[in-house]
Amino acid sequence: MSNVLKIKKGVEQGANELLKFLLESEKVKGIFTLRKMNENGAVSYSLITHPKELQNAVPLFPLMPVNAGKILSGFTLKKAINEPIAAVLRSCELRAFIELIKRTQGSLENFLLISSTCGGVYPLKSLTDGTYKEQVSQYWESAKNAEISSDIRPTCAACEYFIPQQADMTIAIVGKNDLQQECSIFLNTKKGEEFTIGAPGNIVSEDIDTKETAKLREKRQEQKKKLFDELEKNGSGIKALVKTFAACLSCHGCSKACPICYCTLCDFDSKTHEYLPSSHEIELEQKGGIRLPPGTIFFHIGRMIHMVVSCVNCGMCSDVCPVNIPVSTIFSKVGDSLQKLFDYLPGKDIEEPVPFGTYKEEEFTEIGE
Amino acid sequence: MTATQIDSNKMPTKGAIVSAEEGINKTIVDIFKKSLEKKCFDAILIPVRVPETEAYAWVLLKDQSLLDEANPLPPIISVQGAKALRSLTKRGKMTQNIAAILRPCEIRAAVELSKLKQIHLDNISLISIDCPGAMPLSDYLADPEKSKKIYKNVLEKWGENNSVRPVCHICNRFSLPSLLPRKSEETSPVEQDEANLPSIDLHIGLLGGNQEKIFLIPVNPKGRKILEELELKSDDSLDIWQTKVSEVQDKKEKIRKEFNLELKEKIEGQEKLTAMFNECINCHNCMRVCPICYCQQCFFDSGALTLSPETYLSRSEKKGALRFPLDTMLFHLGRMSHMVLSCVSCGVCEDACPMSIPVAQIFSLVADQTQKSFDYAPGINKEEPLPLQDFLEDEFHEVETPKEVN
Repeated sequence: MSNVLKIKKGVEQGANELLKFLLESEKVKGIFTLRKMNENGAVSYSLITHPKELQNAVPLFPLMPVNAGKILSGFTLKKAINEPIAAVLRSCELRAFIELIKRTQGSLENFLLISSTCGGVYPLKSLTDGTYKEQVSQYWESAKNAEISSDIRPTCAACEYFIPQQADMTIAIVGKNDLQQECSIFLNTKKGEEFTIGAPGNIVSEDIDTKETAKLREKRQEQKKKLFDELEKNGSGIKALVKTFAACLSCHGCSKACPICYCTLCDFDSKTHEYLPSSHEIELEQKGGIRLPPGTIFFHIGRMIHMVVSCVNCGMCSDVCPVNIPVSTIFSKVGDSLQKLFDYLPGKDIEEPVPFGTYKEEEFTEIGE
Repeated sequence: MTATQIDSNKMPTKGAIVSAEEGINKTIVDIFKKSLEKKCFDAILIPVRVPETEAYAWVLLKDQSLLDEANPLPPIISVQGAKALRSLTKRGKMTQNIAAILRPCEIRAAVELSKLKQIHLDNISLISIDCPGAMPLSDYLADPEKSKKIYKNVLEKWGENNSVRPVCHICNRFSLPSLLPRKSEETSPVEQDEANLPSIDLHIGLLGGNQEKIFLIPVNPKGRKILEELELKSDDSLDIWQTKVSEVQDKKEKIRKEFNLELKEKIEGQEKLTAMFNECINCHNCMRVCPICYCQQCFFDSGALTLSPETYLSRSEKKGALRFPLDTMLFHLGRMSHMVLSCVSCGVCEDACPMSIPVAQIFSLVADQTQKSFDYAPGINKEEPLPLQDFLEDEFHEVETPKEVN
C-alpha cells in the first residue's frame, strides 16, 4: 500500500494540476513534459519553466515523438542538474534513461520522476495520416477497462512492464474506472511525498497492483506470445533475415532513434566499414554479385549484439523505419530471450549492473564445455 | 536549366533504335546480358529485386543469371544509386570495367560526389535512362501489386499520371538534356572540348518509343564504342525521341514553375517555415539517405551542440518553454546551407521522413534558387568546380554593399 494523492479532476486535467502546483510553488525549477505543437496533434517534449506555458502541456498524450530517456540523457550528459526538475515520462522511457545512466550517459540527480501506468502509444504514422484523431477517442476507454487499445504500437500492445518501477510518482490510468472524475497519483518514494506537500487534493492509501492491472498484464502477455509466434512464422535463419531486411535502406534511422544506441559515431558508420574497391572485386568474383551498400544485415546484427540486453521495447526503431521493417518486434523478441538468460530486466533497478558490465566466474559454463 | 541552354553541338542526333517486343525491361536487360558476354563490361550495377520479396536493392553483378530479376527502372528509388556507387568506389578506383545504370538524378548525384572526392568514376561507364519518376516508398510498400500496375501506367502515360512522388511530378530533368554540358560563351572552343565532355557515356531513351522500341544513344566516343561492341549501328535518327523529350520537358517546366510558386507561398518566412518542420522528430533520416550528405559524422550528431543543464534552463526561462530535441530547425537549415548547391532533387529525403514532412520539395525549391544565383547546375560536368570551391572576385557585390537608407 502506498499513499495516493487524489485530485478531483479528470486524469489529464489532474496531471496538469499537479504540474502547475509543482512549478507555481517553486518546488521545481522546470517541468519536462510533452507539449502540443499545433492543432494537428503534433507534440514534442519541452522543458517548461513558465506556468503559463503549461496550458499546452499534454503529459499523458499517447504519442512518443522521441524516447524521453534519450533526451534526458543528453540533458544531463555534461553534468547533473543542480536544481530540481520534474520529468514526466513513460515506463519504457524511464527504463531507457536508467540504462543510459548505468552506461554513464546521464544523471538522475535532482529529477523528480513522474510516470504513469501506461496504456501504450500510437505509431507516429497515425499522426501523419490523421487516423490518431479517431483512435484517441477510444484510448482512455480502453485504458479505463484495462484493455489493450487497438492500433497502438505492436510492442506497446505486447508490453507487460506498464507499471513503472523507479518513478517518484505514478499517475494511475490502467483499470481506473473513475479516471474521468478523479486523478490518482501514487507517491512511491519519500521524495514523491515531500514534493506533494501542500498540493491540492486529499491523500488516501491504495495499492497500485490491482485485479485490473493483473488482467491487462495477462492480456499483454498473451499478445506478446502471439506477436513473437507470428514473427517465427516468417521462418528463421539467414534466409528469413535476408527476406525480412530486404527493403532496408541502410539509413540507420533505427539506431539514431534508439535510446540505448548512444554512440556518437556508430561503428557501422565509421571508416571500419568502408571497403577498398579490391575487396569488393574479390567478393564479386566469389559470389557473382554483391549488394550495395554492403553490410545491411551485418549492421542489424551488430547493433543487436551491442544493445539488445538493454532493449526496453519502446518501439521507436519501427516507427522511424521508412520501409516498415518490424525492427522493434524482432529486437524485443531477441531482447526478451537474452534478458531472461541473464535474469535481467533493463531499467528496473539503477543499482543492478548491466550484464556485460560484470563478470561471474560461474556463468554459462555449458558454452565452454 | 532549360533545353535552350544546352550546347546544341553536344546533343546527339543519331543512335540505335532497338525493338522492344518483349517489353522494355527485358530488352534492356538482354542488352546488358549481351554486354557481359561480349566483355564490354566486367560487371553491371543495376537494381535487382530481392528474391521472394518486392524490395529492390543495388547489386553489382557479373553473373548473368542475376540479371533475370534486374529492373533498370523499378517503381521506387530504394537507396539512391549514387550512394551505392559511393560505397563501391569511395576508397579508390575500380580496376574492372563497370556499367552503372542510373536514373538521371542518380547520375547527377554521382557526378557531384565525384567532385566532392567521394566517388572515383574511373572505369565506370555511367548509363542514364529516361525516367518517368518514382513512386513514394510508402505507397509502394503498402501495396506492391497495385503499385506495379500503377507504375506501368506511369510509364505509358509519361508525365500525366500523378502517382509519382511530388518532386518527380515536377521534375524537368528526367532525360538526357539535363545531363549534357551547357553552352558556355566565356570559354574558348578548345577549352570547352577539354572540360565540357559529358559525364555519361550512353543514354537509354524511352520517350517516343511507345513501349515498342527503345533508343540507345551514345553521348561520347566511349558510348559509340560500347554500341559497336554490341554490334549495334548507331545511325538511326532520334527525331521522334527528341521531339517527345522537348514536349514533356516544356510541360514539366510549366508544372514546376506553378508548383514552386504555390510552395513558396506556403513556406516563406520564419513562421511558415518553422510550422513546416513542427513535426520533425530529429531522426536525421533525411540526411542519412541524402546522396550529397556524405559527412561521416554530421556536425549535428557530433555532440558539439550538447550544453550544460544550466544553459538549457536559462534558454527555457527566456521563452517560458524550450522544445526538445533542440535545434531541429537549425539542423535543417544547417544541412541545407551545406548541401543545397549540389541538391539533385532526387526526393529520397522525403521518402525516408517518418513524419511526412515535404523535405524534398522545400530543398528542391531552395536549390533552384541558389543554384541559379551561382549559374550552377549540379551533376553535369565533372570538371565544373563546385560554386563554393572557386572564388570569383567579381561576384555578389550587391551583398557587400549595404542598401542606401533613405
